[in-house]
Amino acid sequence: MTRQQSAGQLDLLLLSVLAGTPRHGYAVIEALRDRSEGAFDLAEGTVYPALRRLEDTGLVASRWTEVDGRRRRVYRISGAGAAALAARREEWTALVRGVDAVLAWAP
Amino acid sequence: MTGPATIEGYLDQLLVALGGRARGVRRVLAEAEAHLEDAAAEGEAAGLTRAEAERQAVERFGPPRDVARRFGRAGALADRRLVAEVMSAAVALTVVGLLAIGASGLVAWGMRATLGDRFVAGDGPGVTYTAARCRDFREYHPEAPTCAAAASAHHADEVSSYRVAAGILGALVAAGAWVWHRRRRRRAPAPALGVLPDGLTAAVAATLFGVVGAGLAVQGLGILVSAGTHAGAGQWLSAAIVSLAVAGAYGVSLLRTLAARTTLA
Repeated sequence: MTRQQSAGQLDLLLLSVLAGTPRHGYAVIEALRDRSEGAFDLAEGTVYPALRRLEDTGLVASRWTEVDGRRRRVYRISGAGAAALAARREEWTALVRGVDAVLAWAP
Repeated sequence: MTGPATIEGYLDQLLVALGGRARGVRRVLAEAEAHLEDAAAEGEAAGLTRAEAERQAVERFGPPRDVARRFGRAGALADRRLVAEVMSAAVALTVVGLLAIGASGLVAWGMRATLGDRFVAGDGPGVTYTAARCRDFREYHPEAPTCAAAASAHHADEVSSYRVAAGILGALVAAGAWVWHRRRRRRAPAPALGVLPDGLTAAVAATLFGVVGAGLAVQGLGILVSAGTHAGAGQWLSAAIVSLAVAGAYGVSLLRTLAARTTLA
């Protein structure tokens, strides 16, 4: 997946990675990489502004925590973030279903 | 590659590229440093030299200017946030202004009690009133021995009461803003990267109150020197004292901010 494609769905991906498990930025990127089996080729520095944007809109919250002897900003999904994730997941599923249906007609 | 090859060099360039409040910039740098150290450690564990691992870590993070630009946008809301911060600062200055006016009413009341009505609201030389106007003043202050004394007492009443009313209005606006702010913060946490630079509000306020205070002081002292202690200098001086005190408080706040920035640098 290209950087542009993955960046377009970055909010959904970040909320999904944070759902149920608070993580610091590096762990978020590792989880994205592992879950996508390396398909997402993001400039790692772009994840932090995206996390900040989600925080500013109340979809995630963060605080400083000591992890492995280093001070890290740990992000967790908020109630509003969980609701937004559910809504965007539905939209995405509907989109994929629609695209698949169209592609199925291709020769 | 033309960008920095080390974590230190990268963080230096990111610091230069970032804008906004010190606290927000510090947070971005701290997160970036932790990330880059993790990435470099991962590279070393995979067999790279330290220098190679750092170079790979900063390359994967992205050019400092791009990252900084994205943080600028990350308040996707940057423009809205700027408007919100300016509005918030304007409301705060309005509240402080109204409270200062209220405080000057109390100072005027104190001057009136110690130095007399005419010090606060006495008329200048040559001011006279019609008989009807004098009757009005005497209705408010029947105890006054003369029309001029009744006029001074009435005007001093107005100076104190109107200003205290402005102060009460300021307290109500402050309470309303506080409630609104709490509700807003409950819906969404405060953004960590501020848009307005640290100390800007204090600089504006110190200048504003300082200039206004100086003007009021010049006016009051001018009356005191030219017309004596019975020509109403107190109404100007009471406001000047409070205005200059507020300017001083904001000035101290500004100096502390500048001192903190100097320490950081």
